[in-house]
Amino acid sequence: MAVEPGTRPDGIPGSRLPGPFAVGEYAQRLRDWLRGRARVQLFGEVWSLQTSRTKVYFELRDASGAMPCSMWRNEFEVLQIDRAALADGVEVVVAGGPDYYPGSHTSSPSFSFLVADVRVAGEGDLLAQLDRRRKALAAEGLLEPQKGLRRPVLPRTIGVVTGERGKARDDVIAGLRRRGWAGRLVWAFAPVQDRHAAPALTRAVQDLAAGGVDVIVVARGGGSLADLFAFCDETLSRTVALLPVPVIASVGHHTDRTLLDDVAAVSCSTPTHAAEAAVRVDCAQARAQLLATGRRLSVQSRRAVLERARGLARLARAPTEHVARHRRRLHQETREMRASTRRRLTDERALARRHLLVLERKASAATGAGVRERARDLDRLRLALDAHDPERTLDRGFALVEDEAGEPVTAAARARGLGRFTVRFADGRVRARRDDQERLF
Amino acid sequence: MNDEERTYETATARIEEIIRRLDSGEAGLRETLELCREGRELVEFCAAELEAVGQGLEELRLEELVTRLEAGSRTAGAE
Repeated sequence: MAVEPGTRPDGIPGSRLPGPFAVGEYAQRLRDWLRGRARVQLFGEVWSLQTSRTKVYFELRDASGAMPCSMWRNEFEVLQIDRAALADGVEVVVAGGPDYYPGSHTSSPSFSFLVADVRVAGEGDLLAQLDRRRKALAAEGLLEPQKGLRRPVLPRTIGVVTGERGKARDDVIAGLRRRGWAGRLVWAFAPVQDRHAAPALTRAVQDLAAGGVDVIVVARGGGSLADLFAFCDETLSRTVALLPVPVIASVGHHTDRTLLDDVAAVSCSTPTHAAEAAVRVDCAQARAQLLATGRRLSVQSRRAVLERARGLARLARAPTEHVARHRRRLHQETREMRASTRRRLTDERALARRHLLVLERKASAATGAGVRERARDLDRLRLALDAHDPERTLDRGFALVEDEAGEPVTAAARARGLGRFTVRFADGRVRARRDDQERLF
Repeated sequence: MNDEERTYETATARIEEIIRRLDSGEAGLRETLELCREGRELVEFCAAELEAVGQGLEELRLEELVTRLEAGSRTAGAE
């Protein structure tokens, strides 16, 4: 409940201090008093530069202290200083004086060194110190050992070093869930940004390694390099470099690289990525793939046997098929030969017939005239013979006397000498005998 | 490779080698059967590894792990 203006409560009984005063009045007086202090120049390193609509805020630090600073934005822009030139750790000189915003019932008060001018002086001591340590570790070869460690693809136990109440814890679990990993997770909670941080972080990684975890994730949700300076601790860096268990660092951002990022096996930009780097397989996908591979191997195995069996069966059938194939070919060739022979005989027979016909015709043509001539000669001779044939004489009524031997008796003297003879007529023979008076009987 | 040297990554790498060899078609019957047998064994190993990280997230504090380890070493010492 707001204190009503004009009403003043009683003070603390027994207190000798003046008041009580209304806080707003006191705050305004404090502001006025601070504004009355001398304007001075300060130097230190810029850290955590931020810009609002009206003001630019940053911290000025050195090894022994720090001062919150603010500057009106229009005054800052008049200086035309590149924002990149005011990166964390850059040394600057500022001019101005202390100021106090008294706040109100609805806004918080704040103290700052109100800067009227800025000059960039050079690289910050913290960054230079960091660079020197990095070079020393590199020269000793301590940036490499972690990178040469075998990092399991699928660890069973993961150790995580992080702040107990930080967001990094949830991010690590989210990353592991995304991988489908649900093994053993060992938390080593440690402060991550105060002066106790570095020794506690060192002990945590050592204990986790001794506990037999497969991989260690060191995670922090980010922050300025100054806040991350615990992760640039030399002892921590050397311990991690020589640890036999791979360490995945996720303590800074791309622009804020710590020594732990340098010596670790892997450096990731977020705790989620660190968790995914710790488990490099998507477990669900890997299970499905293994199932498919198992099936594929079974199929390959069966197919190899079946293919060979088919091959053997094919080889076993080959001689029979070869003989059958030859037999079919021989049968075919035999049929073709027979058909060819038949065709040839038919053709030759036809040809022979044609030749015979031609020859016959030629022979006929050659011999016909002679035969007819000889026939005519024969007819003539036959007629001539017929003319001399005694048979023809007998036909005309003459008779022929023949001896007993059948020889013709052509003279009377001969007839007288014969006792018996035959008289031959055209229609038959008559035997006759001659007596002494030459009479016939 | 004996079981102590075998890891999930060496097993999966060997499975890929086996698949490549089988796919090449150059392996004879005996080699194919041997590769398939080895491949199935490796698949079983990998499945067991996946099974080990699929039983449910077990969260421990470092102190609990140390206590368990100490208890384990005491038990081993007593035996």
